[in-house]
Amino acid sequence: MDSQPPQDNDTLTQINSLKKIGLATVISAAFALVILLAVVLPAEFGVDPLGTGRALGLLDLADASAGPLEHAEQAHKTDRTEFILEPFQSVEYKYYLQEGHSMVFSWAANGDLIFDMHADPEGMVGEEGVESYEQSTANASAGVYRANFTGIHGWFWENRSFDEVTIRLESAGFYDSAIVFRDGGSFERELGPVL
Amino acid sequence: MTLLKRRFTVRALTSHALLLLLALCAIPAAFAHTIAGSDANYIQAIDGPAIAPFIYLGAKHMVTGYDHLLYLFGVVFFLTRPIQVFQFVSLFALGHSITLLSGVLLNLQVNAYLIDAIIGFSIIYKAFENMGGFRTLPRFHLNPKWAVFAFGLIHGLGLATKLQAFDLKANGLFVNILSFNIGVELGQLVALTGVLLLLMLWRTRPTYWQYAFTTNTALIAGGFLLTAYQLSAFVLGAPN
Repeated sequence: MDSQPPQDNDTLTQINSLKKIGLATVISAAFALVILLAVVLPAEFGVDPLGTGRALGLLDLADASAGPLEHAEQAHKTDRTEFILEPFQSVEYKYYLQEGHSMVFSWAANGDLIFDMHADPEGMVGEEGVESYEQSTANASAGVYRANFTGIHGWFWENRSFDEVTIRLESAGFYDSAIVFRDGGSFERELGPVL
Repeated sequence: MTLLKRRFTVRALTSHALLLLLALCAIPAAFAHTIAGSDANYIQAIDGPAIAPFIYLGAKHMVTGYDHLLYLFGVVFFLTRPIQVFQFVSLFALGHSITLLSGVLLNLQVNAYLIDAIIGFSIIYKAFENMGGFRTLPRFHLNPKWAVFAFGLIHGLGLATKLQAFDLKANGLFVNILSFNIGVELGQLVALTGVLLLLMLWRTRPTYWQYAFTTNTALIAGGFLLTAYQLSAFVLGAPN
């Protein structure tokens, strides 16, 4: 019984009845179809024909992965601003960004500044929860920034030289507004959407 | 005899279920088989010949290419004599080298999802052939050696689309594609050695013949799923 089943030496294949082969093929196809509809379509494509994706929590998989394109709910805004820093003056400039929202930025100054790019989470007081991403001395920087949490995100610049330094910042992003901290006070800036 | 037959069928069905479950476990990690991440960034940045990196990428693509590997597994499943293995694998290598080289150099534009769907179909075809399916349908009979060559052409086109997805520089292109191709053959050799060793071990045991049909059934199921996945991607757009 357990000896070799018949084999066809010309075609190097087994010999089985059409019925058996047909059954195996149909079962395989049905199996593949069920897996496709129940698991693969919800998890990979976010399509849920049987409702199993929702039930098993697979739909989140399709949503969570970051592809090359991410949509935002509203149009982005642009901002261009300039500060003049007298010797040993400092300024802090930050954007209000929701978690997961991004901006691109470039700033340049006509002299070296020490700076700290950092973020303060919303609803926290003082230094609590503050995350610093870069502390350095430079006269220019540019990049892409994606907010890890909702809050205000931006730069502290300080002029430690004996010359006046002018700094220009340009940015575009999905922020709502900007806030300036200067001379012990702060004020908000409304930014217009680009449409 | 009928009793024996029934026992065989019941056992076959339970083992089918078991193997299908195993196949299912292997599926989630195995889908988006493209060149990704830092490898992708690297390829785009290359300007000029880079032999070793492209050999490595070709080998990596093959060793981690479950679609190519499943097909090869089907091809060698019933091949016991070394000369047969050599003939079939050479025909496959010849086929995919032709289309990999010419596809990239002539800049043939084919849809990657459709090609990958046909690669999925090649797995179905081979497993069906292994079961003896084409013996029962002689009208559709195709010489297995021609088939492996033809599907080699298709697999090569699949490899070409993966490379073409990048903005490859003309500088050093031929050397780089050739290196990638050599890497593919080396990767195939490594993977095949492992597969053949395991098959040789398995063939010394009675379970090989008991589960030969089941294994090819699982192979068919995998082929159907890969094909369905690629066709879904073709219709619905790239998976998230």
